[in-house]
This record gives sequence, structure tokens and C-alpha cells, in this order.
Amino acid sequence: MPLAEIPLHTAGWLILVVLGGILAMDAVSWPQVMVSRPLVSGTLGGWLLGDPASGFLVGAVLELMSLRHPPFGAARYPDSGPAGLVAGAAYAAAGGASLGALVAAILAGWAVGWIGAVTVQLRRRGNERLMSNAAELAARPALLERRHRLALRLDAVRGALLTAGFVAPAVLAAAWSVGQPASGRATAWGAAMLVTAMAASAGAGGRTSSTGLRGWPLLLVGAVAGAIAVGMAG
Amino acid sequence: MRPLRKDLWSAWWRSFAVQGSWNYRTMIGGGMAFTMLPLLRRIHAGDPVRLSESVARHQSAFNSHPYLAGLAAGALARAELDGESSASIERFRTALRGPLGTVGDRLIWAAWRPVCLLSAIAAFGLGVDPLWSVALFLLTFNAGHIAIRVWGFRSGWREGLGVGKALHESWLEWVPRRLAPLILFLLGLDAVLLSRSVLDVVEWNGFFGGLAAVAAFVALVAFRWPRRAGRVAAALVLAIPIAWLVVATLIG
Repeated sequence: MPLAEIPLHTAGWLILVVLGGILAMDAVSWPQVMVSRPLVSGTLGGWLLGDPASGFLVGAVLELMSLRHPPFGAARYPDSGPAGLVAGAAYAAAGGASLGALVAAILAGWAVGWIGAVTVQLRRRGNERLMSNAAELAARPALLERRHRLALRLDAVRGALLTAGFVAPAVLAAAWSVGQPASGRATAWGAAMLVTAMAASAGAGGRTSSTGLRGWPLLLVGAVAGAIAVGMAG
Repeated sequence: MRPLRKDLWSAWWRSFAVQGSWNYRTMIGGGMAFTMLPLLRRIHAGDPVRLSESVARHQSAFNSHPYLAGLAAGALARAELDGESSASIERFRTALRGPLGTVGDRLIWAAWRPVCLLSAIAAFGLGVDPLWSVALFLLTFNAGHIAIRVWGFRSGWREGLGVGKALHESWLEWVPRRLAPLILFLLGLDAVLLSRSVLDVVEWNGFFGGLAAVAAFVALVAFRWPRRAGRVAAALVLAIPIAWLVVATLIG
């Protein structure tokens, strides 16, 4: 699918880029209301491309994979706002309902998340310089306020650039992957691998919130409840 | 001079941006000074030297969970108003750093946020519209988020250097413990519901029971060795296109 066939006008692309900046800022700088979580940003990306359900699905998979990386202290963690937005937009633009496009969108989101993590570290180094002259900032509090606000804006610019750099390639990759793989057996293998990866993410994510190993039966109880719900839904 | 209500509101609102200038040298030190400035300007009105000294104190290295930074900002501003010595404020800042980070991380990042996220995913898996599921997450999560920020700032401002006892309040300890089992249950539930959604994409007609057994085994192994399992999960997703190439080449 060529880029021109993607159901998004110039204004739509611009909205995606601006939204990427806002979502990136939410993760760390302001206001941390968690619109930057991949579940939310993925759905927003899908919604902008006319398919919020596809965006939600990619966002939820990325969310499961991100649970293992909470922002404790100065730890490095994926920049989930732009990541989810790019992935959700890519899968929705590809029309959903394709394992190839789903995997491409997840991989794009994962890559954007970790590249974003590197840019967050670079921004933090930049903030060091911005806030370095402690004596001058203490003597002129208004300067401290200006520098702090500048740091906030630079974080938004970082997120917007990250989104602008990756959203079109991700959309193209997902659109190209529609109908992949051609073989039914390869599709089954791919789906099984994705399900296994999600199970591994769920298990690993569980330990982030658990204080020990004792809670493992609850994982199985939840899975059984899920299987019953799926069975009842037919 | 005692701060006005609008100064308190301004400081509370600014606490949402406390991590704006996060850096590896002072962490949220600059953000703390930024947050407290409306209060410090009022407290030290007409005395630029004391204002400058207090800004210097509060922009030095500090860290805390962002949602609990308001507690520290309120308490430190109260200490400035009460005329506490520079040395006792420094000691208090140092003592507060560790607990505010640990308590906040356990309560918010490891408990409250996962519960709200996983509940929203479960709602979607059970048929709720995706936009409503996202709204459910944002509303429930931020109800707790805003409540903690309000509670923290008010406690800090009310108690000053005695705010340590607010941190020892039992609910901060027991909430994460009570939520942990729910998170594990929701993780199991969501893994199955999301798997169903993925399998629907490919119109899977293979043996679901076999795949479920493998997935359950993998989840339990991952629970036991989470660090390695996280890497294995990422590697598995990365390997899917390679597996397709191999299968297509060998089998066609």
C-alpha cells in the first residue's frame, strides 16, 4: 500500500506528530496522567486512522511487554507514548486483521520505545547543562523557572521529532506486511510465537508487582477464568 | 509572610511538572525549587538574600516518586515558614528522599497503575468498546493519582518536618500488598483474552489446548526467572519474521 493511499490528510499527520510530542512529555515531564501508556497512545493512533480497536490491540500487547520495565529511580525504560502512537497508527493504517501487519506494528513500537529511551537519556544530559549554574539560578529564580519550562518544551520537541521520524516508515512497513506470511503454516507458527511471547511477558511482569514466588497459582486462576470467558463467548 | 491559598494552589499545580528538568546530577532538585517558588517568594517576601538561600537549598540533589514530591514540597515550604535552620532542613531532605521513592514506586508503578491498566485490557477482552476501556483506565488511575497528590501536599504543608508519620500510615504499606494478588489474576486473564484476539486475527483453527498448555508453562517459568523471560519474549517477537522466512523456504 503506497503512502498516498493511507486514509490520513496532511493535517492528520501533523496531529500525529504534535500528539507524539504531548504523549512523550506526559511520560516523565508533565503532567504524568498516563496518556503516554501504550494502551492509550496506541488507541489514539488507531483512532486517528479510523480503527481504535486495532490500535488498542497493539497497545495492549506493548503494554504487556512493558510491564517488566517500570520507571523505578533512574532506570531506563521504553518511551511508551510515541511508541504506542506509532504502532497503533501503523496497524490501523494497514487495515488491521493481518498478523504480518500486527507483528510489524509491534516491532515498530518496540523499536521506537527503546530508541526513545536513548533520546530521553540524551535530554537528561542536556538538562544537566541547562540547570548547571546553581549559584546564578538561586540568585535569579525567574531564570530557574524559564530553564525548567524550556526543559519541558524540549522534551515535547524530542517526542514530536521521534514520532515524525518513525511514523511514516512504520505505517509503510505495516502496510507492506499485510498478507504476510503467504503460507498458512507460517502464519500459525507466527501466531503461536506471539502468544508465547505474551505469556512470557505476563509471567515476567507479574514479578514486578509480586513480593515473592507464592502468587503463581493466581496467574493460572486468571488464565482459567480467561479461558472460561473465551469459551462462553464462543 | 504566610503564603496565600493561591500560592498553595500554584505550588500544587507546579508539582505536576516536578520532573521537567530531571537530570543525573540533581535529579528533581530543579523541579523542587520550581514547585516551591510560589511559596518561597511569599515566605521570604522583601528579603531577596533569604529567598536566594532557600532556592539554593531546594534546587540541590533530590529525588522522590513524582506523585509524592508534593508531600516533600509542602513539608519543606512549611519548614521554611516555621524558620527551621538550614541544617535541619538539609537533614530532613536527606531523610525523606529514600522513603518517598520506595513507597511511591511500590504503590503507584508496581500496584495501582498495573491494576488500572490490566482492568482496562480485561474490559476490552470482555467486549467493552476500546475507547470506553481507555476512558476506564484514565478515570480510575487518575482518581487515585490526584487523590495521592492532594493528600501528599496537604499532609506535607500541615505537618512540616513531622510529616514522616504520614508516610508510616498503614494504607501506604497495605495497598500494594492487597493489590498484588489481583494483578497476578488479571495478568493471567488478560494473557488469555489478548491471545484470543491475536488468534482471531489469523482465524486460528489449530489445537488451542496445546498452545494454552505451552503458554501457561512459559508464563510460570517467566514468573520464576523474570529478567531472562523478558528478554526471551522480546527475542521471540523479533524472531517471528525470521521464522516466517525459514518456514516459507523449507515448507513453502
